Amino acid sequence: MTTILTGGVGKAEVADTVERLALAGVEVVVSNDMDAAARLRAGRADYFLGTCQTGAGASLGVLVGLMGSAVCHTFGRSVPSVDEINALLDQGKKVFGFAVDQIDAVTPTLAGAIAARA
Amino acid sequence: MSSTVSAASTGLDFSLAQQLTVVALCALTAFISHLALAVFNDGVRPFMLDFVQGRTTRSATTAVSFGLSVGFVFGLGAPMALSSGVLNPWLLFLPTDVLGILAPKKWLAPLLGGAWGAVVVFGLDGANALAHELPVDFLTAMQRMATPILFLFTLFPVLAITRQFGRLRGAVAGGVELALVVLTMKVWPEVFAGAPAMAVGVLLLIGFAVAKDVRRRRTERVAAGAAPSAQERALGDPVGGGRPGEVDPMVSLFGTSAARLRRHLPLFMVLGAGVCLLAQLHVFGGGEATSFLIAKGQYAEAAQVDFYRALGFIPLIATTALASGAYGIVGFTLAYPVGYLLPNPWLAVACGALIFAGEVLALSWIGKVLGGLPSVRDSSEHLRAAIGDTLQLAILFGSLLAAEAMGGGLGILIAGGLYLLNEAVGRVVVRMAAAPAAVVVTGIVLNLLHWLHLFTPVKT
Repeated sequence: MTTILTGGVGKAEVADTVERLALAGVEVVVSNDMDAAARLRAGRADYFLGTCQTGAGASLGVLVGLMGSAVCHTFGRSVPSVDEINALLDQGKKVFGFAVDQIDAVTPTLAGAIAARA
Repeated sequence: MSSTVSAASTGLDFSLAQQLTVVALCALTAFISHLALAVFNDGVRPFMLDFVQGRTTRSATTAVSFGLSVGFVFGLGAPMALSSGVLNPWLLFLPTDVLGILAPKKWLAPLLGGAWGAVVVFGLDGANALAHELPVDFLTAMQRMATPILFLFTLFPVLAITRQFGRLRGAVAGGVELALVVLTMKVWPEVFAGAPAMAVGVLLLIGFAVAKDVRRRRTERVAAGAAPSAQERALGDPVGGGRPGEVDPMVSLFGTSAARLRRHLPLFMVLGAGVCLLAQLHVFGGGEATSFLIAKGQYAEAAQVDFYRALGFIPLIATTALASGAYGIVGFTLAYPVGYLLPNPWLAVACGALIFAGEVLALSWIGKVLGGLPSVRDSSEHLRAAIGDTLQLAILFGSLLAAEAMGGGLGILIAGGLYLLNEAVGRVVVRMAAAPAAVVVTGIVLNLLHWLHLFTPVKT
């Protein structure tokens, strides 16, 4: 089971979107950056999807500081392709930030790519 | 509070003192950004840690800052400034973030920042003068924004409570707020009707959040089987920080950052003085919707809106600052409402310096309190989402009112059409600024049509 945590301004919307996709082997939990840092470090969760206006501030929060920038990535306000997401997952990125007004465009691709590795 | 559009034009030309203030403040913000002591963009702040600790280069950080800021300069700051005639932080401080980090030498940063400030203030001054000369005046029409902004914003605590604590408490809060609005209109007609309702709504939200955290902590203690000592019961004690012999990585990171910022306290006090002074000059609106209230001269209402908005941003700015060692260029944004309300510039300079000193000194303590109150941090996120929702509708509706005031049905057709087009192409312009930007374009199109004798301006 792959656990995805959500945080930031649109955490409820992202969690709803992932749940509606009904992906096999994926569970989604509404969280926040501080709580997610503890869970990710302890191995009790696998990925974190954060959202805010910029796609980086409240989205990533304390996670860049606590997890290191090597596992964090922000899409800003852009919408990434599947290939781009897969390349980032291959690099070992676990924490993703994107813009709250692009939730519908980003979440399904991102959650789908994560589920494909579950 | 009047819903009628004042006939007088806003006539916001910048005086020399105002122009020099903006140029000097932009030079200062670029300098502070160069030193990585503070950035305006909340999204860039988490990435400043690697730069502060020397793990990444100036040019890589510039690229991050540029990438996260450029859309908001042209998609939010510029259209808001053009449509309101008032300066805003996205237009002034996002570019100085980028220019400050970009500058390879210390002395170059303030020069670049000051130059940007001059470009903005002279450019906007010219654009305002031109806009008021035109037969179809969109700046005056934009004053229609004030009523929808104020009355819809009143509802933001209700939305935040519903998002965080469910429909029942949301409905109760909604009922209480509506009753208070009606009551205020009846017994206290000279006050903005939403003021008491908003205050009570925010208190309800904070009350629910603190109560939830206190209950959760009590059950956690019972589960742990340890009797709480008097010290642990103190509000500032972070939950889960009590493992002996092990340094919590978050505590040490936060401590280092707070100490770094405290070392530069005098510089932050100068910055605070500048930000508060800028707000006091009444040519600057801090929040997404505040510019339109400032343009109409509703300073007390603007102060309320930006004060409540600050509650949503304090936890974000505090945690990103503590996690990165770089503060917010406008602090907790509390200097805005204070500035709008102060009667003279000297007082603003003094108050701004004191506010920033207090904020920087309290940062460490605020981080500890927030660590122990996760529901309050949650509330601030729901609050920002709720503010976004109410302002989005208000700005869209107000923009259509302004478009109608300029050009009737044709105005609505052009402005509404442009808004929908922006949605269809994946929101090139940030949603919040799309409708005001559409009104500006509508104003230009209507003036062109008037020049071609195809349109007669609507008299309001």
